[in-house]
Amino acid sequence: MNIRLARVDDLPGMQACNLQNLPENYTMKYYLYHILTWPQLSYVAEDENGRIVGYILAKMEEDLAEGEEPHGHVTSISVLRSYRRLGLAKRLMVQSQEAMATVFKASYVSLHVRKSNRAALSLYRDTLGFTVKDIEKKYYADGEDAYAMRLSLKELAQ
Amino acid sequence: MPPASNRALPTKEAKLFREVLNLYENRQLKNGLKTADQILKKFPEHGETLCMKGLILTHMGRREEGIELVKKGMRSDLTSHICWHVFGLIQKGEKNYEEALKSYTQALRFDKENLNILRDSAHLQTQLRLYDGLVDTRHTLLRLRPTLRQSWIGLVVAYHLNGNLDEARKILEQYEAVLKNVPDYDVEHSEVLLYHVHLLEEMGEASEALTFLDINAKSRAIVDRVAIMEYRARLMSTLKMVEAEGAWRNLIEQNPDSYAYYKGYLSNNGIDLDAISEDTRDKALQILQQFSVAIPQAAAPKRLALNIVDGGRFKELATAYVTAGIEKGVPSLFADLKALYRDPAKRQTIQDIVESLCEKLAVTAEPPKGCEPTMYLWTLYFLAQHYSSLSDNVRALELLDLSITHTPTLPELYAFKGRVLKRCGDPFGAAQCLDEARVLDLQDRFLNTKCAKYRLRAGVIDEASDILGLFTKKDAASPGADLEDMQSLLYLTEEADAHLRNGNLGMALKKYSAVQKVFNEFEDDQFDFHGYSLRRFTINIYLDMISWEDRLRSHPAYVHTAINASKIWVQLHDDPSIAKSKLAGGGPGDAEKKAKNKAKKAAKKVKEEVKKTAATTSTNEDKGLEPQPAKDDDPTGSKLLQASDPLERAAKLVAPLHTLAADNINAWITIYDVSVRRKKYLQAVKALNSAHTLDAEHAELHLRLAHFRHTLSSAPQTPPEPMGSVVKDAVAKLLPENLSIEHFNAQYLQKHSGDGRAILASAKVSRLLGAPMDQVESSVFSVFNPDASLDIKTALDALGFLQEQQSSRADEFRQGCDSRFERSTVFKNRSERATLRWNAAESEAVNGGVEKPEVAG
Repeated sequence: MNIRLARVDDLPGMQACNLQNLPENYTMKYYLYHILTWPQLSYVAEDENGRIVGYILAKMEEDLAEGEEPHGHVTSISVLRSYRRLGLAKRLMVQSQEAMATVFKASYVSLHVRKSNRAALSLYRDTLGFTVKDIEKKYYADGEDAYAMRLSLKELAQ
Repeated sequence: MPPASNRALPTKEAKLFREVLNLYENRQLKNGLKTADQILKKFPEHGETLCMKGLILTHMGRREEGIELVKKGMRSDLTSHICWHVFGLIQKGEKNYEEALKSYTQALRFDKENLNILRDSAHLQTQLRLYDGLVDTRHTLLRLRPTLRQSWIGLVVAYHLNGNLDEARKILEQYEAVLKNVPDYDVEHSEVLLYHVHLLEEMGEASEALTFLDINAKSRAIVDRVAIMEYRARLMSTLKMVEAEGAWRNLIEQNPDSYAYYKGYLSNNGIDLDAISEDTRDKALQILQQFSVAIPQAAAPKRLALNIVDGGRFKELATAYVTAGIEKGVPSLFADLKALYRDPAKRQTIQDIVESLCEKLAVTAEPPKGCEPTMYLWTLYFLAQHYSSLSDNVRALELLDLSITHTPTLPELYAFKGRVLKRCGDPFGAAQCLDEARVLDLQDRFLNTKCAKYRLRAGVIDEASDILGLFTKKDAASPGADLEDMQSLLYLTEEADAHLRNGNLGMALKKYSAVQKVFNEFEDDQFDFHGYSLRRFTINIYLDMISWEDRLRSHPAYVHTAINASKIWVQLHDDPSIAKSKLAGGGPGDAEKKAKNKAKKAAKKVKEEVKKTAATTSTNEDKGLEPQPAKDDDPTGSKLLQASDPLERAAKLVAPLHTLAADNINAWITIYDVSVRRKKYLQAVKALNSAHTLDAEHAELHLRLAHFRHTLSSAPQTPPEPMGSVVKDAVAKLLPENLSIEHFNAQYLQKHSGDGRAILASAKVSRLLGAPMDQVESSVFSVFNPDASLDIKTALDALGFLQEQQSSRADEFRQGCDSRFERSTVFKNRSERATLRWNAAESEAVNGGVEKPEVAG
């Protein structure tokens, strides 16, 4: 699969992929906000027909507390079930992380995952090397808790 | 015009009015309202205060009352920039951009240098693509605020959008020259400089672009490393520099799975990866293999090599690729390789490889040493997909049954079995399979979506909704409402198509128009970014967004739904009694009632939500200027069915297709259907011409050519000159004047006597020309000739045509199809299909939270 930086015309494909895979969904404007603010951070995987089969939608944290280091945040990452076991999520994540570190000097990247989502948890922890930093109570609209996870980018920053 | 005589206020009230403006700016709505009322008590006709009060009320959600006041204020003071500005804001909130711009233009007549109004005008001009005016507005803003960075960038972007790259560059260079105190490592400035590089590249100034890039990369003013590398590689290649190769190599090392980087590297070596020749093949392969060795984890060079290699080398590389994929259990292996099937030799080689692998694995009860036991399973899965793609669905089903016996817990097997059954014309069996797949992994939304989609394909719409509801928001009015809010084009399109197949035209139109609404939202979404992106300085991607928006409706979901909805509108125009019969209970009566009930429930839910929020919020809450979404007053689509202007609606839908779907023959056919009925004959003949260029022998085109000639010759008058002769000449080119339609039709049939679609089209033409029914019927039945090709879709079309003509042989035709397509169920009779539908809607196993789905009567 072809891995490349996301373009504006990929956004409908990313949105479709997200709706098919994950329970957390966003309207187009939110995708536009990401890519028009941080055009360096979102990546896609596409198949031979140009269909988006995986994506990472990422941003930098905007509201930094006093003295807090800049860091990135993965808003959403997913790969269609039929395109698993190719290491696509990892490849997408690596590209985004490098951009966070080199363009924005991010010291770490964070993400949230539903406590009940064992498959995603194992992807982030076992495959991508994230660790659980915290539990955020009732993070999701339906009242479910989230694991707040982190991965250090210190080695990537120049 | 002089100012209104009553505008000037005494000192005390003038002070209060300034306070109102301030309070509004800070969205202190409640206090703003109170203060405005204080003024109005003494001066009830004061136009500007009335407008401000109206504006505040609108923000507070008292929309109608607010707008009434704004209008009243306007009437009493037509020369106030404040009144016009307020009016413009309201219109902008309604997304009436044209009218809003007019109001802003009026406002500017009375206050030429008002920054807020100028900025808003610029955004409206961009939204409306009025780039000449935009350049003027941006010039004014720069003159008024030359110290603001975004004033400069605003003008640069305006020139760029207007196609004046020279001026864009000039202003940009002036800006960079006067710019002071850029902090170190400033990402925003970096973006501006990258835009500068892009601009130079677009102007063909590669050498200057590269110099500019290198200087600013070296000084670290440009911080985006990947962008630097990409521009360098591309520019160096353009300039034919020796360093280009290294630049491309760096990119490949940065991201070894980007196809574009390999293409760039090869192209720099004089090799076009998409057009490999005997001269370039070996060298290309050598390069890709070097990368494969140097970066073993990269998948791209291995896959790209398969595209270009042939003969014995292909077998060698493909064997390694296929074996690795099967060992790892990569579910997408077949989808990945299918593009190679365009070459029959490669297809055969892959079949041989997998068949022999399968044989090897099948004989050993124990898997060969080092092999996963699942290898055999993935081999079977691959072969099933392989044979299904070659239309050997019997073999595919055998393989799938074998693999399901081997491993009954792998959802992919059931999902693919469903797909095969769908291809066989058994949507009911397919839906059942997908439910079996779904219950094997209830946490997986992908399987859930697929299952719901297959239920929609089987026409069980309520039961599809039950499935979707397992993953949609619980507080949404319905699963569909959540998916519509989340802009799921897949869901909306599939449900609309399902209603259409079920004959529920009203609901189909309703869902199709929901798709149109999503695209309108996408179009509106850009508005805020006209200002935002300038503040963020992300110019390159902003320009990409503008051009994406300009091509928005080339999206397949738009094209598909515009065509289908237009077809319904045309149908309603041709036979208005359809709408009546659907409304008079000719349609699915129970379903209608059900839909109404559902809508009632949904409305109740929304009402409760509103109550809840109303109770918990203060009156200071800003509800914005956009109208709240209107209540759904047409839950069954019956109002749509009765629309008085079906053709105008269709014309609006297909309008974007002229330019954005110019290579889609069905789009042109639909444009013809709409145009000819609107008596827009020039447009109609142009559509036929365009379709003719794409595929002169297309069956639908044949039907339209005959229809057009027939329409013109049976019209009481010829179209007026000069249009008349133009149309006549153009038609003559497509269908020679001396050839009768009967003759033309006979020739066409003779030429395509082995093509089911052509046979059907020619029967339809005969009917159009008034041939007796028995003759038309026997023409249609000739699709069963042993030498004629016939697919399920054409057979369904033919059956639909016979039913529409109330042919007495329709049922006979249905039975013919039923035995022709052995595994199909779509040709079963009504009661048989009802049973099948019931089965399709039944869930094998349902997790705790789901109710047993209701069954449609």
